[in-house]
Amino acid sequence: MKKIAPAIALVIATFVAIYVGTAQIDSFWSALFAPGSNEILWQIRIPRVTAALIVGASLALAGLMAQGACNNALAEPSILGTTAGAALGTVIAVLTGLVQVGSMGAIACGALGALAATSLTFKLANLRSQLSSFALIIVGIAVSASITAVVGLLSAMVTRADARSISFWNFGSLALITRDNLVGISITAIVGGFIAWKISPSLDRLSLGDATAFHIGIDVPRVRLIALVALSLLAGGAVSTVGSIAFIGLAAPHIARFIYGPIHRNLIVHTAIIGALLVVVADTLSRSVAQPNELPIGLITSLLGAPVLIALVTVKNNVWKTQ
Amino acid sequence: MITINEITIVRDGREIIYDYSEQIPAGSITAIVGPNGCGKSTLLAAIAGDIAPIKGTITIDELHPILTSPAQLAQIRAVAIQNQSYTLGFTVKQIIEMAGPAEEVMRSLDLTSLADRVVTTLSGGEAQRVSIAAAIAQRTPVLLLDEPLAAQDVRSRKRIIEVLKKLAEDGVSVVVVAHSNESELTWADKVIKQFL
Repeated sequence: MKKIAPAIALVIATFVAIYVGTAQIDSFWSALFAPGSNEILWQIRIPRVTAALIVGASLALAGLMAQGACNNALAEPSILGTTAGAALGTVIAVLTGLVQVGSMGAIACGALGALAATSLTFKLANLRSQLSSFALIIVGIAVSASITAVVGLLSAMVTRADARSISFWNFGSLALITRDNLVGISITAIVGGFIAWKISPSLDRLSLGDATAFHIGIDVPRVRLIALVALSLLAGGAVSTVGSIAFIGLAAPHIARFIYGPIHRNLIVHTAIIGALLVVVADTLSRSVAQPNELPIGLITSLLGAPVLIALVTVKNNVWKTQ
Repeated sequence: MITINEITIVRDGREIIYDYSEQIPAGSITAIVGPNGCGKSTLLAAIAGDIAPIKGTITIDELHPILTSPAQLAQIRAVAIQNQSYTLGFTVKQIIEMAGPAEEVMRSLDLTSLADRVVTTLSGGEAQRVSIAAAIAQRTPVLLLDEPLAAQDVRSRKRIIEVLKKLAEDGVSVVVVAHSNESELTWADKVIKQFL
């Protein structure tokens, strides 16, 4: 029961998310099974909840890739600079008028920004000696902070209307999602998820450390690079469409490991389900707690994810040895 | 057969091994002994393909480890490093199976009762035996072990030495870095004390 609980909770949370909102949907169940019958349901709620599912799964898998590639419990897209890089790539492309938020171009720019920032973190952390967890986290935080500051400066320097839209998106929001946006993030989620599934056995071996992984036949730099590409696609796609949503990449993989164990191939599906569940719940809360106002979803996910981060370094556990 | 030909190895700007040559025959146990910091583990790492000599060559049956792909190298040599640490909560059996078939080697190294134990809960000696078992499970013609007896009790030491002797009889080149005196290494066919 414990093992299927997240999947059951996800199904229930999805229906609740579609049902809950400022506007009451008449004859909810019949409208749900008659596509196009209710405009609010089919043009706003269902695309938004679908986006929440895809974005949650993408960010969670991005976190799994980050932790697996770095062999580090604290690694996640926002700590490695990936999220900030995706934001910068998208903001530059949007502000220069090259692309629109949510378009395929924005997603490509987001993924490129994510890959560039993550590579920069790895390069800098690797400068003095072999990659150490400590250096990776410290450098990642610094890279992330620097890029976030640049994104903030760029947002502040543009016209008021643009700045408002970009700032809002930069804190993370599913409010601007349309059905057209779903195509792009579906592609990055499927491609990124497939790459993650393919390299998952190698990530099991990377957990033994670089030296032992190499001794049993793993091409460590190659596996790490592929994982970073998957991470950048997944995080870049999500961030360029709905903005930065914190802690999903950190919390979801750890929750999945507590329930299902450490084997990465098993974790791919379960981590995606838990990530989708967290974002759907957080989005539902963000638009229903203070109606008619909508809270930034990042605030809710931070409240959900921060305890996981604290537990990781304070509670002794056999799932991931951090002490 | 492992052939070391006039190698020089420099690490962190310090010359660890200078102009050193050696031959390690197949089907034998070779122990490398010497004081701390003399380069025993460095030599083992060079044979494993972890580090490259700045001069000279190392070959394992005509293959240069440093020029061989990780996948191919994993078929000719297996390594158990000295301080293997485990971060994720895999079981002992899952860890060994990442390298090769687990059942037989778990039996021979007295690990069957620990098969379902999570590796992050093991003692130092148990973790070291798991690391040795994984290397043996790889079933390669060359087996490189860094201080395999360091954290073992008397019974486990005996068991490991028995297993290594059996592997050597079966034609495996076993190379062991050891801290022991030469008199304690009666189980080794050859002792390299070049670094003493």
